[in-house]
Formats: sequence, structure tokens, C-alpha cells
Amino acid sequence: MLNKILKTNEFIVFMILVGLSIVVGAINPAFFSLATLFDTLRGSIVYFIMAFGLLPIMISGGVDISFVAIAAVSSYATHMFLISRGYQGGVFLYFVIACVIGILMGLLNGILVTRFKLPVFDVSLATYTMWFGFNLFFIGATANFDLPKGTIGYYANFLLTVKDPFAGTTGLHESILYVIAIGLFMWWFLKYTTIGRGVYAIGGNRDVAIRSGFPVNRIMLIIFGIMGFMSAIAGVTMAFLSRNFNPVIFINQPLDVLAAIILGGAAITGGRGTVVGTTLGVLLIQVINRALILTGIPVEWQRLVVGVILILFTSIPALRERRMKRIGHTTEITQPG
Amino acid sequence: MTEEILRVENISKRFGGVVALNNVSMSVAKGETCCLVGENGSGKSTMIKIISGVYTPDEGDIFIGGNHYKKLTPIESIREGIQVIYQDFSLFPNLTVAENISINQQLASGKQFIKWKDINRIAEEGLARINISVPLDVTVETLSTADRQLIAIVKAVLADARILIMDEPTTALTQKEIASLFKIIDDLKSRGISTLFVSHKLNEVTEIADRTVIFRNGVKAMDQDAKGLDVKTMEFYMTGRKIETESISFGKVDITSEPLLQVENLNLKHGYFDINLELKPGEILGITGLLGSGRTELALSLFGVMPADSGKISVQGKEVKIRSTEDAIGEGIAYVPEDRIREGLFLDQSINDNIVVGIIDRMVSRFGFLKNTQKRIEGENWIKRLELKTPTGALPAKSLSGGNQQRVVLAKWLAENPKILILNGPTVGVDVGSKADIHELIRSLAREGLGILLISDDIPELMQTCHRILLMRGGRIAEEFKREEITENQLNTELIGASAVNG
Amino acid sequence: MEPKPAKTSMVNRGLFSMRPVVAQIDRQTILLLGVFVALVAFFGFTRDTFLTERSITSMAFQLPEIGVLALAMMIPILTGGINLSVNAISNLGAVLAGLFLVKLVPQEVVSAQPALYVLLAFSIVLVIGVVTGIINGLLVGYIGVPPILATLATMTFFTGISTGLTGGKTVTGFPDQVGYIGSESFLTIPIPFIIFVLVTVLTYILLFQTSFGFKTRMMGSNPTASMFSGVNNRTVIMRVYIVSGIFAAITGILVMSRTMSAAIEYGSTTYVLLTILICVLAYIVPGFGNVFNMFLAVLILQVISTGFHMVLLGVRGSSFFKDFSWGVLMILIFIINYFMRGKKAQE
Repeated sequence: MLNKILKTNEFIVFMILVGLSIVVGAINPAFFSLATLFDTLRGSIVYFIMAFGLLPIMISGGVDISFVAIAAVSSYATHMFLISRGYQGGVFLYFVIACVIGILMGLLNGILVTRFKLPVFDVSLATYTMWFGFNLFFIGATANFDLPKGTIGYYANFLLTVKDPFAGTTGLHESILYVIAIGLFMWWFLKYTTIGRGVYAIGGNRDVAIRSGFPVNRIMLIIFGIMGFMSAIAGVTMAFLSRNFNPVIFINQPLDVLAAIILGGAAITGGRGTVVGTTLGVLLIQVINRALILTGIPVEWQRLVVGVILILFTSIPALRERRMKRIGHTTEITQPG
Repeated sequence: MTEEILRVENISKRFGGVVALNNVSMSVAKGETCCLVGENGSGKSTMIKIISGVYTPDEGDIFIGGNHYKKLTPIESIREGIQVIYQDFSLFPNLTVAENISINQQLASGKQFIKWKDINRIAEEGLARINISVPLDVTVETLSTADRQLIAIVKAVLADARILIMDEPTTALTQKEIASLFKIIDDLKSRGISTLFVSHKLNEVTEIADRTVIFRNGVKAMDQDAKGLDVKTMEFYMTGRKIETESISFGKVDITSEPLLQVENLNLKHGYFDINLELKPGEILGITGLLGSGRTELALSLFGVMPADSGKISVQGKEVKIRSTEDAIGEGIAYVPEDRIREGLFLDQSINDNIVVGIIDRMVSRFGFLKNTQKRIEGENWIKRLELKTPTGALPAKSLSGGNQQRVVLAKWLAENPKILILNGPTVGVDVGSKADIHELIRSLAREGLGILLISDDIPELMQTCHRILLMRGGRIAEEFKREEITENQLNTELIGASAVNG
Repeated sequence: MEPKPAKTSMVNRGLFSMRPVVAQIDRQTILLLGVFVALVAFFGFTRDTFLTERSITSMAFQLPEIGVLALAMMIPILTGGINLSVNAISNLGAVLAGLFLVKLVPQEVVSAQPALYVLLAFSIVLVIGVVTGIINGLLVGYIGVPPILATLATMTFFTGISTGLTGGKTVTGFPDQVGYIGSESFLTIPIPFIIFVLVTVLTYILLFQTSFGFKTRMMGSNPTASMFSGVNNRTVIMRVYIVSGIFAAITGILVMSRTMSAAIEYGSTTYVLLTILICVLAYIVPGFGNVFNMFLAVLILQVISTGFHMVLLGVRGSSFFKDFSWGVLMILIFIINYFMRGKKAQE
């Protein structure tokens, strides 16, 4: 049993995470502080949420990039609507309205994919382009800092606060609770529901999933709905944490979220991926980002380092797979079907 | 015998103008192993699809366990206990054994939530029913083909199968695995589960069948107790003609001639060790061995797919380096893969392009441009020579019938005009009639002076084509036989005996 | 990139390698041509300024950048791959050439022989295209990294080099000769447009008149079969990414010359996605690609962009309406394709 855990992809990513943290901590002890931990978590919150929402799509074998557009439109449109009505209440109504919009937008992708038998990526490319254009043209083209009274203090709703000699006063934001709730929900959904197993089945072999009697189209619609829902939460949370609503929020981030999920062990071809792995993948990217700052690598060279790390991270599994294939080549080549 | 489980009466099925089945009746008794035999297009797959409810017959009646159906839906068929094991096994490679086995129960129960305890319990029960053990928590993609097939059988048994329909189940199995599959079929029989075994490997049919049914051109050509039925008789009923095995003419090999291909001390880690062999012009050299004996790796190395780690390969006395398939074709070596359609054909591309792909570098002008006209003419020439039925070579290969697609692949390697031809399982999945034709083609190519390496575990095939046969075991050439000095039975014993060594 | 389920139904696509350019016309061409004519007619009627020489010239100056970049995207897609690093390559090339002109060589040396040094700078861009192509080719072809991941990684890596060398600042202060390509016309035709047409023709020749192109398309259709047919898949992949890199580099030269600057983030992710969008519009799938459709798709995007800009002149955020309409158009074309394919399947 233990031996099996040691061989899982999650464990490898976890070890890399630990190793990296030790190295960075050795170079700069400031890394091992609550302040850094809280900051890292705060920086990761929205990525966790978006990655959890995207994960089922990836497992089913699709690659989507439109989730960032959903986050942007659902949050920004909700805000502009509420502001125009003179809303002064709290954040709850924001989440409710944005989630409804997000789910509808997710379902649109799902309908296009299932009804017209289109590749997920192609559809998401179209809706990505369309929704950002929609947001900028029909809703508004500039960031809006005019927050309702009831929401102003939200960004500092800390569960815990610490005073840190380097970072000043900082804390653990309550939205970490959403992340935990969403993470647990997705873990349960993927592992303990028939639909969740259906997601893996579709990614493993779509035709067999249909033949076995999985309601494939319904499953796809559900996971697109989930994706829209999560994106909306991420969008609203991000806006409140940064205290402004931006029509092009995350516009350049879709590939970053994809990369985090893949680092966490999801296969680009579908069938594989876990909530634990995704969590580690998101954390890994955040820790790398912190590490670059804390180890004193000049800002302008940080992206290069990330690039090198990404190349290594994608090459090593590929090389390993090639070796495995070589050993078991016979079965690959001679056995049909 | 005992009670009948399935009976079809006077079934006819037409597709457009083509009659696939014409007034066919057959039955399967409880606990019987019934073999359904016939060439491609004889109607056996249509019959399977009618029994499993995929097709509705135009005329005729279906009786299952006393219930009468004019037409049958797939769900009714499953409810009546008919389970088809398709060649792809209908499994999810990324899910565990336990989940694959119990997924149907989970879906059938309509439960929205998963209890992993139940999943494992169902799987354990299933495995226990056919008395095999496979670890429950490994993913199916890590299993061998034989194990995957077992999982598929377990799934079927768990679905309360009364009749198990297996479509060419032995294609990708080793001798040993086939033997254990047969044991399982016997075991099922003792519990009263019938098997409808579809195959055209006649020696297997003689081994397993209680009763054999042969279809030819949509009609039942024979239906009798399998006892005392020999391969020759079955071939006669399948093809409607006697297959002449006596009149084989083997080309003469000039022993003194310079070898076409010479391999010295060739090694590949995890593949084969210390291989030495020689191939003379006009010679057909068989290489046999069980799956995992290194025969396929050796062939792939000679063709540059898995370049050897060390050793020497010479073509016509000149040492050559073969690091890629491009190198190999450049040295006049051609390779015909086992799965010719999947590994040999570009279904979406034009017939012409399929034919010239191996020789495209010979169709480039001095300035580096393709000679498109020459390309077209070459393609059209082969279409004429091989009598392909197509209005134009510009149509995609998938517009052709299966047999014509095979000919396109044939044209492709003939167009390469090779000196050395490596054939991997040239008649796997080919029916008896065409098999003889392919064997004659191989012999005639050798008579023209080609050197041929034939990789196969079909012993009659080796005996009917090869001059010499090499037996590989655990990555080494264990023995060499001359065809005149060994019988089919001896070779069979040697091949099976190898399994003791391989484990 | 997703495998396209539709690719098998494009029966008539097998034809065009036989005959010359005429055979480049397929169903998608007719569809795109229809859309193009409809759009031009619509904008022509609603705005007098649309079909004027000035507006056409300005479109011809703008579209070549994205057009050439889309061709850089098209070739890897033909093999079943993708190249997300195209824009990073073009910016890296421009940045390095810019630094060469502005920082590396003393100003007085450059101004003594500006034409020579500008040519040298452009050659640097092309060399960068080749080098970055080799890196992508190694990762995809030899190490076996899935193309979408490999080029995602190199996208960050290449941009990282540009960022590091410039500190994130835009490089400016080029000699005037750099701007020659981007601002001049030859016989009233803008030079960038001529370059775009030349690269399009070159792509056509590469794909349909050379054995490299033939192997590329065959490999895209069935890589296992191509390997058994003596195609060296690795070398083909390597060459594919080198060509892609060179085309991306040409875009770098066009951008550098038109804007007289080199910025690390020029175009950014949006440009990459736009090139994929063009390929999807032009129905580029592994094994099959029509260069003429690519050309039409680029024209369509530009017409939409310029057209709506004119129609919505003075409306707040008008320049963003084009993005919206691109997305809508793409969805419409998907749906039209679906019904056209559906009909075909029933026949």
C-alpha cells in the first residue's frame, strides 16, 4: 500500500514541493513564516477554484480556455448591474447572481459541444473570444473601483492575522474556506458519484462510456455547468480581494491554470487527474513564484526560470514514458485493438 | 442434446441490394460451445448483430429461452442473457479492474453514489465465479491483452450471461493464453453457460467446438457435431472449393550465393540478444516464437523502428546503419505490419498517395519539387495491376472495401520494389481462401529473388512457405529447422515447449 | 489541440494534391468566400468609406502580421500538433534584433551603414526563428512532450529571455531603414501584404509540391502508418517546427518594422489564440489543410475588424465589438459545418 502511494504522481509532485520549499527556506529563512504561507494561499485562492472547476473537463478529455472569460463576464456584469441599481449590500448577492450567469455561460459551451459534436477546445476558443469582446463592448471597457458599502471590508475578512517583520500585517483570508469546501466537494463528486466516475469513463474511452450506458451528454453539461459556477466564484472573489472589477480579469491566465492542472498529474488526453494532484500543482506554481522573489532572482529573469522549470517538468515524464514504451514495445505494436 | 437456449429460424437480412443472410436457421443448446465459422462477408457478423439486437432481421424469428421475438432490441438481448465480447473488450483503460467489472451493476442499479466497498465486493465475486485472480486495484491499461479479455468475460458472466458471444477472441493471445481461455470456456460450460465462438482459426475450432456451424455467402453451408470434423472438410465448406496444398512449389535457394541480409551479434536491451542470421536471395526465412520471445523486436530493429543497441547488419555484403525506417527503405528493406489497416493505411488520404508514400523521395525533381503527374501515374498503374475497384485514385482510401484496402497496402510495399521483405503475421485475420493466395504471393516473390523474413506463430503457414525456420525463446535464437526435416507436430511441440522457459 | 471528429467526412479533400491551385477550392472555401462577400457587401453598403483605396490599403498593412503568424500555427496543426510559442518567437526575434541595433553595435557604426546593419538585424530574427524551432522540434519530436505542453513551456521560456534581456521595457530608437518594410508600398501594394502573399504561396508549395509537405500531411493522418512507410517522423516534426519558427520570425520583422519598436508582450496570448481561431475557421485538421482557406479566413477577420470599427465609429469601446463578432462568427461556422457534414453523412 505504502509502496503504491510512493509511486503516485501526487507523491512525486508533493516531494518536489517539499524539496523546493526546503531549498528556498535555506536561502531565505523568511520563506518559513506564517506571513509567507498566508500570502501564498491568498495568491492561490482563485487559481484553486478555477482549477477545480476545470479539472473534470480535463479528465473527460477536453481542453477549455473559456473559463477565464466566464469569470470575467459573470463578475463584471454582476457588478455593473448591481452598481447601476445603487446596491449597497454585501457580497452574497454578488455570488448568487454571478453564479447563475456563470452556470448559463458554462452550459452554452456544453450545449455547443454535445449538440453539435464539436471539440471542447474549438468551442472554448470561440466563446473565450466572444465573451471578452462582449464584456468590453456591451458592459464596459474599464476597471471599476466603485464598490458597494457592504462589500468594502470584505478583502480584510481574515480568519487569523499575523504581524510579520517583512510583510507587515497580513492574514488568512476567509475565502480559503470556499477553497476547502469546493475542493472537498470536487473530491467527493469525482470519487463517490456515478456521474463523477462517468467523467473518468468518458476520458478513458468515450465510445465505451456511451455503450455502457453512461448519460454522456448529460455528464458533459453538468461538468460545464460546474466549470461556469466555479469560474464565477473565482471571478467575484478575485475582484473583491483586489478591490476592483476588471472586464479582462485573467485574460492572459488560461494557460497558467491548465499548466497547474497538468503539473498535478492530469493527462492532456483525458482520463487522469485528481483533486489532490491539482491542489499540489497550483501550490507548486505559487511556491515557484514566491521562491523566485525570495531567493533574490531579479524580477526580469523570473519568467525565464519558470520557463526552464516548465520545460524540465514536461520533458522528464515524457522521457520516462518513452523508456517504458520501449521496454513494453511489443504489446504496443503487435497487438491490434 | 439438452434444452435449447437460443434458436433463430429462417433469418434473412438485406442491406440495399446485398443479401447478407438468406433464410438461415441455427440454434445453441445450454452449455454448448458452438463455433461459428466463415470467411469475411459470409454473414457471421451480421448474425451476431441480429442476435445481440443491433440489427433487425427482414424475415425470420428469434427464440431465446422460450420467448419469441420478431425483432430484438439490444436491451432485450442483454436481459435475455446474451453478452457479446467485442474485440476491444469495452473496457476503460484508466479505471481499475474492480471498477471496470462492477460498472454495469452500478449503472443498472441507477444509484447516483458509489460505495467502493460494494464495487470491490462485486468484482471479487465476479473473479471468483470464473476462478481467476487479478489484482483489483490496478488500472486496466497495465494488464496484458489476455487479462483484459478475462475482465471482459467476468463482466459478461456477472451480467448473468446465458450465452457468451466471442468475436475472434484469440487473435492477440499467445498459445498459453489461448489454452487458459479454453479452460475457462469449458468451466463456463459446466455451469450451463453457452459460448458462441466466432473464429476462422480452424485448428482452434476443432479443439474447442461441440458443434460447428459454417456460413458461406449468407447461407448456412454446414451444421454438425464437431466430433470427427477435420480442418480440410471445414475449409471445403467455407470456401466451396478444395484448397490444394500438395501443389506448392518452393523456389530453389542457391546456397552459394552471397547473402542478401546478414546479421551479426545483434543486441537490443529488453528485446533480444546475440542474434546471428543470414538470408539468401530467394529464401523465405521464418521466425517464430511466443509473444515476448523477441521476434517482433528483432523485426522492428531490422526495419529501423527500434534500432539495435549493438551488432552488425549487412545488406548484400555491405555493412549498413539502420537507425530509422527511412534508412531501412533506403537499403531496400520493406516491412508489412501485422495490423495492415491501422498501421499501414492512411484512411483519409487518397488511394494514390497511399500507394506512393513509401517511394515519395524517388518522385522529386532536381529542384526539389514533387512530380505530381508521375505520382498520379504510378498510383493509377498499381490500381490497374491489382484490379482495385475504384473510379479514381484520387478518392480517399476509406472509400474502398476492406479487401481492396488490403490491396492498397500491398501495392504500397510492392511499389517500394524491395530486396528484402519483412512480413509480420501476414495472414492474421485473413480468411482461408485469401490465406492461400497470400502464401502463393509470398512464394512467388521469393522465386523472383527477394529475400523474405516471415514472422508468424501460425505453424501451417510457416510449413507452407518457409525454407528455414528460426525459433526464438527469451530473446535468443534457440533452434533452427529446415522445413524438410521437421513436421508440423514437432514444430508445434517445440513452440509450446518454449512457454515453459518463458514462464 | 483536440482531434477533430469531423476530419473523416471531408471526402473531397483528397483531390487537391493532384491538380494545381484550382483544386484548393473545397466546401469550406465556398463557405468562407460566401461569408467574405457578404461582409464586404454589408460594410460596403453601410459605409461609403469602407471600399475606398485608403481603407483597403490600411487593411492591407494590418493583416499580414496575423496572417503570417497564422501560417506558422497552421503547419504544426497539420501534423496533429500545435505551436503556442509562435508569438513569443516573433517577439524574441524582434527584441534581440532591436538590442543588436540599439545596444550591441555602437550607434555611429550603425548610422554609417544603416542598410547593412538592418539587414543583419533581420537575419538575426530569422536565425532566432530557426533556433527556437529546433528547440520546439527537439521537445516534441525527440523527447516526446505533447506539443501543447512543450510549446506552452517554450512560450514562457522565450518570453522569459526577452523579459530578462530588456528588463520588460520596449526597445525603440531603430534606424529609419527598419521601417521600410512596414510602411512602404511597391506599385501601390503595401510591402507587408506582398510578403504575406509570398509566404502563403511558399506554404502552398511546401505543403503540396515538396516531399516534405507530403510527408507532413501523411504523418498528420496516421503517424504509425507513416513510420512504417519510411517517413522519419522525427525529422518531419523537427522541420515542421523550424518552418513554424521561421514564419513566426517573419512576423517579428513585420511587427518591428511597422511599429518601429520591439516589445516583449506585443500581441500576447490574444495573438496566439487568434491564429488558432484562423486555423479553425479555415478547417485545418491533422493531415489536411487548405492554404487558400487560411488566406480567406485572415481576410474575413480583418474585414470584420475594420468594418465594425467604421460602423461603430464614436461608440464607446467600439474596437472590442470585433472580438465579439469573431467569436459569434466562429460558432456560426461550426454550426453550418455541422449541418453540412450531417447531410453528407446521410447520403
